[in-house]
Amino acid sequence: MSVLLLKNVSIAVSEKIVLEDVNMSVEKNDVVFLLGPNGAGKTTLLRALVGFPGYNIVSGRIFFEGEDITNTSMETRVSKGIAIAHQIPPKLMGVRVRQLLEALCHKNKCDVYEIADDLGILHLLDREFGKGFSGGELKRVEIATLLAQKPKLALIDEPDSGVDVDSIEIVAKAIKKVIELSPYKSAIIVTHSALISRYIEPTKVCIIASKAIRACNGKELIDEVFKHGFRELA
Amino acid sequence: MGLGSWLKEIETRAREGLNKPSPYGIDIDVTQFLEVKEGKPSLDESRVKEVGVDLSAKALYTQVDQLYFKYLSKIPGVEVMKIEDFVESNRDEAREYVWKLIDPGKDKYTALAALRGRGGYFIRIKKNTKVEEPIMACLFMSIGGLQAPHNIVIAEKGSEATVYTGCTIAPEVIGLHVGISEFYVEENATLRFVMVHSWNKVSHVRPRTAVYVGPNGKYISYYVNLSKVKTLQTYPIVYLSDNAYTYLASIILGLEDSDIDVGSGANLNGENAAAEIVSRSLARDSAKIVARASIMGRHGKGHIDCRGLMLSDKAVIRTIPELYALTPNTILTHEASIGRLAEDEINYLISKGFAKDEAIAILLRGFISVEIKGLPKKVQEYIETVEKLTVEKSM
Repeated sequence: MSVLLLKNVSIAVSEKIVLEDVNMSVEKNDVVFLLGPNGAGKTTLLRALVGFPGYNIVSGRIFFEGEDITNTSMETRVSKGIAIAHQIPPKLMGVRVRQLLEALCHKNKCDVYEIADDLGILHLLDREFGKGFSGGELKRVEIATLLAQKPKLALIDEPDSGVDVDSIEIVAKAIKKVIELSPYKSAIIVTHSALISRYIEPTKVCIIASKAIRACNGKELIDEVFKHGFRELA
Repeated sequence: MGLGSWLKEIETRAREGLNKPSPYGIDIDVTQFLEVKEGKPSLDESRVKEVGVDLSAKALYTQVDQLYFKYLSKIPGVEVMKIEDFVESNRDEAREYVWKLIDPGKDKYTALAALRGRGGYFIRIKKNTKVEEPIMACLFMSIGGLQAPHNIVIAEKGSEATVYTGCTIAPEVIGLHVGISEFYVEENATLRFVMVHSWNKVSHVRPRTAVYVGPNGKYISYYVNLSKVKTLQTYPIVYLSDNAYTYLASIILGLEDSDIDVGSGANLNGENAAAEIVSRSLARDSAKIVARASIMGRHGKGHIDCRGLMLSDKAVIRTIPELYALTPNTILTHEASIGRLAEDEINYLISKGFAKDEAIAILLRGFISVEIKGLPKKVQEYIETVEKLTVEKSM
């Protein structure tokens, strides 16, 4: 049984088809990298998988742990163990980082200080969530919320964009921990530049371009992308 | 001038204001509150607990309607007494503080308080006394009618204290509450004032507050209205001397058909005086809220931050920030916004594993939480409890 299985999935945003006929699976111990050019639909795919409102499955089926979750809400999918780390989380006025992590850790039985220490965000705990954060800080806080969720399957959107080298190292270490804590040791990571591959080795690499998954292969596909670019592979 | 002629003068000034409506808020007919209401006053401890008053506090003033008064202070350097007892025992001093910052003829509500008011607390924090534990006051209306206490707080030179006042009423009781508050924060003193209101859908509330802050003094105020009210109008003004500072926060929850008009004003009279005014309005059902704020300055700087959150299609919020610079030596700024909870933020929190109601509660709590630096831990805990209650009531 696949952890996640997509059968002929088409996704629309504001009635416009963004992805067509996507077939893909995530197996146990799979760390899948999704690569693709700007606007290819990588974020759309992750958001549709978690059930984010506005990202509609117009045809096809999605199975998680063998169960059809195509028509379930985001609340249901998250409660089943799917979690997303957003590329750019919103600013939450007046909500302190500590407050949010405490609420998550209360639900999922984790240690706020351990997580904050892992991500190097102890100094941000009493700050308003997202307000005045640098790119690296924002990313580290977002990954901290993912770690606090202890998901079965993490969907991680561009953990390597807009961050400095030090932050990427910290973020990659935390992602490895998220994967370790997952019962399936699986994750999907969207990356634009594949910079994260220096720290986390994928088991599978898929290329999204022109509204569809164009290729899926082993980690050597990353080298192909760097050599030939997305256009040629698409 | 003897006590009799001073009181006579107050009465004369008050009578001049009897027919004067307030320039703000809904004008109400006060004649129905002129008669003394008969009944046996009783304190509802559960209501009092809701507004955060600890009846076992070491320094406490309790007033029920205009008939029952109890006060004590076991804190060295802190005096608590009923205002009439203060006036009786300190006749000359009383004239320096009572009806000095507020004119009894200002409007019909101050007039009514001057002519028919009873009780109110006198609190003095003696020179250089620093008190961590809040001094509590409870003003409760059990039989309704008029409750018009006159409160005086004097924070003497170098002192530091927190006065926590909870005002509430029994359900369904028709009442008019006009609390007159004149506070004096002397040189280098710090006074924190927390006021929590929880009224009912038939009550009218018209507090009148003025504060003098001496050189290097600090006045920090945190006001919350967390329940239904028929009409509520208040506009406290703070007068700041050289290097004085004030922070005025108002958290206003409008429920059902409440008509609320709440403002805060600061006058930067002294050099390097500074004022920050923060208001957070949440309007549910068909509530109407006007959030006013004004800073007038000759010197120093001031900032206004007014935000409104619409929780219903029928509610109305209006913010009126006003800046008034009298010389080029003043720097005044303001920011204001009104909107609804952002769907994206709710969805973000749901994607993190919160139920929709939990997500909304987190965002509401964030909206009303204001950062007040230097609050004693116990006061901070009271405020956190009040914040949680405000969120529960706004949902």
